[in-house]
Amino acid sequence: MNEIVVKNQLIFDFASGILGPAKSLFASTYLELNSDASKISSTFENMLGENLMDNENIRPKNLKYTDCMNNKNIKSASNLKDPVTSFFGNLNNLNWKQVYKGFMEYTTSIDDKDELKLIKMDPGVSVPMHSHAGKEYILVLDGSFCDEYGEYSKGDIQINDQKIKHTPIASKDTGCVCLSITEKDVIFFGKYGSFLNLFTFIKSFFKQK
Amino acid sequence: MEKSNLNDLMKRIQKDRDEMAFSQIFDFFAPKVNSYFIQNRIKFESSEELTQEVLSTVWVKSNLYDSTKSALSTWIFTIARNKKIDFLRKNSKINFKEEDIREFLYLDREIDLIEENEAKKQIERINNELDEQQKIMIKMNFFENKSHKKIADELEIPLGTVKSRIRQILTKMHEFLR
Repeated sequence: MNEIVVKNQLIFDFASGILGPAKSLFASTYLELNSDASKISSTFENMLGENLMDNENIRPKNLKYTDCMNNKNIKSASNLKDPVTSFFGNLNNLNWKQVYKGFMEYTTSIDDKDELKLIKMDPGVSVPMHSHAGKEYILVLDGSFCDEYGEYSKGDIQINDQKIKHTPIASKDTGCVCLSITEKDVIFFGKYGSFLNLFTFIKSFFKQK
Repeated sequence: MEKSNLNDLMKRIQKDRDEMAFSQIFDFFAPKVNSYFIQNRIKFESSEELTQEVLSTVWVKSNLYDSTKSALSTWIFTIARNKKIDFLRKNSKINFKEEDIREFLYLDREIDLIEENEAKKQIERINNELDEQQKIMIKMNFFENKSHKKIADELEIPLGTVKSRIRQILTKMHEFLR
């Protein structure tokens, strides 16, 4: 899998406005934290703006310019915080669920085909070797983690699929807070693997109810 | 109409609330915005309402536009896109909750970090790199939001070709921005 393609696909889809709510929140946070991604997005929006400039004309039948000058429905702009804070509030006040010692999760109730989660790892904590049934997107919000593929810090994104097996470890100094999108549940291997697979199985069972 | 003319008109709206300038902006953009909604499979009646909202936003919030940060067409595109998202969300079968996020994710998001001149150069470079077919594909895929399958049918080329050509664009994007 080519990570650049998947990353740019995410940015392009966001700029086009076709992502579901979970991925929208994820992508807008990514653009907020990562200036390279934000530049790509701006350039792409400019390209789409060019398309508008050259777009064919279909004249509205019953609309005059004066109809647009007395429209009371347009609200004035509001002051926006960053997407994660606007949506979750203070992360310290969330009702985190401990999956195992040093590894916490907070799953959102966004109604979407993708699952949006916050993950918090204490300093030095690792996740057992696992791979992914669907695609998983991880965005580092704070601190850093590393795995077999490199080090990831604030604003970095990692995209995993079924071909990738990895063992992430949170930074010894800072720990790590991440935003994650999972398209399907994760498959675990190794020492705690079967237990964690059972856990995700039970979780999915309750989710269906 | 030339871009510089559009910018002059916009300045007159911002400074003097010039109604004649707005009528010209309206005449230029309303048919293009209306067409964008129809291309995105929104029915004519609704497309007209949305076009009204977009152009109303241009008039009411003209002070939010900064010509050093983006082309006018880019600003208006983002307004139209946001209205489209809002519209599809209201009409979707998915049960969106109150805490749903789309509202504030796209609302009046400023385009920054990139100067108009810089963007212009990049678009020129990108346009030189892409062939006609790729440009059409970008428009169909990301502006009209057509599926790869639909693009393949309309251009009468294999689905695999569409996928690999769009993939090429996505890969090249990093080189373009260097």
